[in-house]
Amino acid sequence: MDYFSFFDLPRKLTLDVAALEKQFYVLSRKLHPDRFASKPVAEQEAALAQSSLLNDAYRTLKDPILRTQYLLTLEGVELEEQSKAATDAARASGEQKKQIVPPELLEEVFELNMQLQEMRAANQMGEDEPELRRDLMTAKDSFDAKMVETQAELEGLWSAWDSGVDAGDEEAKLRARDAMVVLLNKRSYLRNLVRDVNEALGR
Amino acid sequence: MAYSDKVVDHYNHPRNVGTLDKSAAEVGTGLVGAPECGDVMRLQIRVNPETNVIEDAKFKTFGCGSAIASSSLATEWVKGKTIDEALAITNTDIVKELALPPVKIHCSVLAEDAIRAAIGDWKKKNNVAETASVAVAH
Repeated sequence: MDYFSFFDLPRKLTLDVAALEKQFYVLSRKLHPDRFASKPVAEQEAALAQSSLLNDAYRTLKDPILRTQYLLTLEGVELEEQSKAATDAARASGEQKKQIVPPELLEEVFELNMQLQEMRAANQMGEDEPELRRDLMTAKDSFDAKMVETQAELEGLWSAWDSGVDAGDEEAKLRARDAMVVLLNKRSYLRNLVRDVNEALGR
Repeated sequence: MAYSDKVVDHYNHPRNVGTLDKSAAEVGTGLVGAPECGDVMRLQIRVNPETNVIEDAKFKTFGCGSAIASSSLATEWVKGKTIDEALAITNTDIVKELALPPVKIHCSVLAEDAIRAAIGDWKKKNNVAETASVAVAH
């Protein structure tokens, strides 16, 4: 059973988290081990299994990113498999594989990693590089801002997906699905960069 | 997860780390990424215009040990090969050589992508048509 059906929800992405939480507590109480203490072992075990499914489902659905990733997996998105298949196709046809990450973003990520490396080397030597530190702070602010933008964009795509579901429009759903894949990829780079910059700046 | 000896060797002693002049006509640059883990890989080749032989290759990778080892190996392999021979290198060859586990196969895919992207860039710069090259047995 998938997590959406577990909570009796349609496979949509805009979700009332407060209502989900409420339902989670209701079900948690229902499945609490104390209520099964005097029941046959088989029933105890079934309740335990349900309870663990409940926890996984709740943890996944309440988080906007995990929820989106989970839906994409349900909708047959297998990033690694697809990337490998695209490489195989490029080899067979001699044409260029289209990179899933926009080239400008890759350039930016690469450059920032070079600066981070320099900063780490300076840190190791016990030196401070005020100019480099300033550059990294500026970069971090820009990445933080991009993360916020990404969130807004993602919510837009949720709406597009949800209306596709409501209208039974498979093409609109596919478009929203593919756009979400691109966006989440971009986001994982941004997230790593923010993490690495914070680390290099010693914060 | 334990890395194979070959991965550790390439990781500790990466071959051909560095940069070639991106603007030179005989240099092709490939910049690719695997967003799943946030890896970025840049692979550059310098091609002899007379013979189409890759005379030098450099890489710079930010990523895990397997990604570094895959790109390091890729530069070793493409050096001395013609463009067409280099295009015949597959991610499976890299997986075998480095004994990469299934969770690290994407690193080898990234390295193959980097080779292809670098060659593609060189071809574009030098107006070489993108033709399907027959895979050479090796």
